[in-house]
Amino acid sequence: MDQWKRCVSCLEEELPPQQFNTWIRPLQAIQESSRIRLLAPNKFVLDWVNSHYLSRINAYLNDICGNGTLSAVLEIGSRPSAAKTPAPGVLHPGMKGAPKQAAKESPAAGLESNINPNFTIDTFVEGKSNQLARAASIQIGDNPGVAYNPLFIYGGVGLGKTHLLHAVGNMILNNNPSARVVYLHSEGFVAEMVKALQNNTIENFKRRYRSVNALLIDDVQFFAGKERSQEEFFHTFNALFESQQQIILTSDRFPKEVTGLEERLRSRFGWGLTVAIEPPDLETRVAILKRKAMQLFNLDLPNEVAFFIGKRVRSNVRELEGALRRVIASARFTGKPISLDFAKEALKDMLAAHDKQVTIENIQKTVAEYFKIRTADLLSSKRSRTIARPRQMAMTLAKELTTHSLPEIGDAFGGRDHTTVLYATRKIAELKESDNRIAEDYGNLLRTLTN
Amino acid sequence: MQQLPLGISLKPGISFDSFILGGNAQAVSSLQDCIRGDGESFIFLWGGSGIGKTHLLQSACRQAGDLGQAAAYIPLRQAADLAPAIFEDLDRLGLLCLDDVEQIAGNPAWEQALFNLFNRLMARKARLLVTADRSPAGLGLALPDLASRLSWGLNYRLQPLSEEDRFEGLLKKAAERGLKMPEETARYLLRRCPRDTGTLLDILDRLDRASLAAQHRLTIPFVRTHLGPDFKS
Repeated sequence: MDQWKRCVSCLEEELPPQQFNTWIRPLQAIQESSRIRLLAPNKFVLDWVNSHYLSRINAYLNDICGNGTLSAVLEIGSRPSAAKTPAPGVLHPGMKGAPKQAAKESPAAGLESNINPNFTIDTFVEGKSNQLARAASIQIGDNPGVAYNPLFIYGGVGLGKTHLLHAVGNMILNNNPSARVVYLHSEGFVAEMVKALQNNTIENFKRRYRSVNALLIDDVQFFAGKERSQEEFFHTFNALFESQQQIILTSDRFPKEVTGLEERLRSRFGWGLTVAIEPPDLETRVAILKRKAMQLFNLDLPNEVAFFIGKRVRSNVRELEGALRRVIASARFTGKPISLDFAKEALKDMLAAHDKQVTIENIQKTVAEYFKIRTADLLSSKRSRTIARPRQMAMTLAKELTTHSLPEIGDAFGGRDHTTVLYATRKIAELKESDNRIAEDYGNLLRTLTN
Repeated sequence: MQQLPLGISLKPGISFDSFILGGNAQAVSSLQDCIRGDGESFIFLWGGSGIGKTHLLQSACRQAGDLGQAAAYIPLRQAADLAPAIFEDLDRLGLLCLDDVEQIAGNPAWEQALFNLFNRLMARKARLLVTADRSPAGLGLALPDLASRLSWGLNYRLQPLSEEDRFEGLLKKAAERGLKMPEETARYLLRRCPRDTGTLLDILDRLDRASLAAQHRLTIPFVRTHLGPDFKS
């Protein structure tokens, strides 16, 4: 192995660090008697190294070991331990992905369960925005295949859909440890199917997925436009449905609205129970922060800090978690306790970047596009409802999302009085309660603007 | 005590040690924890060009290599010469460093590939370091699923160096090259050269060679003659 190390030192010396780190560093070497097998992580890297560096590598090996005694050959692969965590205790933002590697490394073993044990129903914070989805998940966890089949959970990114999938998986496994429960991102399903087609193992692939007890598929909207995968998934769905095995699907939108899917799939997705997850309200965001601080860092996050972060970060739970990680990392680095001022300081760059995102102009543009009117209409003196309602909505969002004063907001809407802004915010608050359509429009706009 | 063999590099390697910390000590400490495996598994660094993002990622790769971990650095600035297929199975590596992720924002094939890679990396507990010229929220990604994932981790805005940091950094960098840099020459250079550290170090390399070739100390007149009045190369 020394020869390879020396060869690497020579290359490190010769190449610019960037090239070295891109193409040489990821190679893993296995030395045999007369050759060194260099494992490249994928074909792209292999081809590149082959055409740009392999002759250099062999020239160095010749210099080091004498002509022809040792040569390098490239192949795709990795040493088994390569991606192992170097030490326990690594904090992970989360897990999501295909059991692709597991399936590849032990083809005979079929599917291993890839349910993340950390995503349980106990660690899922309940709020008004997700209580229906949570309740349905619990029922399914207790009675898979019977209660609701399929369960279809839809909502924006980072609101807990994946968490619920794993939570149901954990419940099913707790009740029946021998159950075959598979979590898969739809992209993982597609990728695996493509590989199975390439390797002529499509029959194994079909058998595997049609014999599970629970199939949890995330983000089905990514099936859009992939007809062969849809076809296969259609048959998998039917097989599981007919044998009363549980299916849970998630998407970023209502089943009927998932574009690029065959009608027969879309209609099946709606056969069981369809529930929405909405962005969490402030109280729920605060509860999530406190729970995560305890769960991930064993830390009791002060209420005022949780409220501060919860008020400023509203788009999704992942971003809340990102903010929390930053505050805690700063506290650990400086050894200072987490106070409100401390949190403000730690998050100031992140929040400043946020504030820059949401300007009144930006809000006006987004609202106008959403209601298919012109921005100029929002600023005009027109008072027809088709214009006035979006204008009130935009004013309310401006008050909610920016730090501008009411007179400034009024000014930005064609020089209106601050009492007009106040009236608009009250009107929208009232309508949100009484009119679902308005509530939904408001929610959509808020999501668009804060994501 | 083993004597160093001849031919060993005298050019100062890129490493955490050669990074001028300035206001970025916490970010660097988090990176080092991450590589050692007792910190976060995903860190996002952002800031303008010349602030040290590439240097930090290169250092991270090097440190991972020193610890025997497989690592790779992917310069997305060169995305046009690469292809999304480069992401395939990179979750086999223990550490992945993606530089200038803003370069692929809005490109559906790259965004989709990165989204898939992110999910696989997290599922396999591999580590990921990403840089961009702006915050995750400001990247303008077309795929909201990717945007929310990039906002998930620990996130640092890298701080530009203060005048004093730059001064001390320059003296340190000169010393690493075995160059004697008089303080007044350092002040002279800092007043005139571009404010990003990369350019400053390039200029230092040129002075290093010139000083060696001419066997001359780095006096202000010497520097002026060699770099020209406006420091254009």
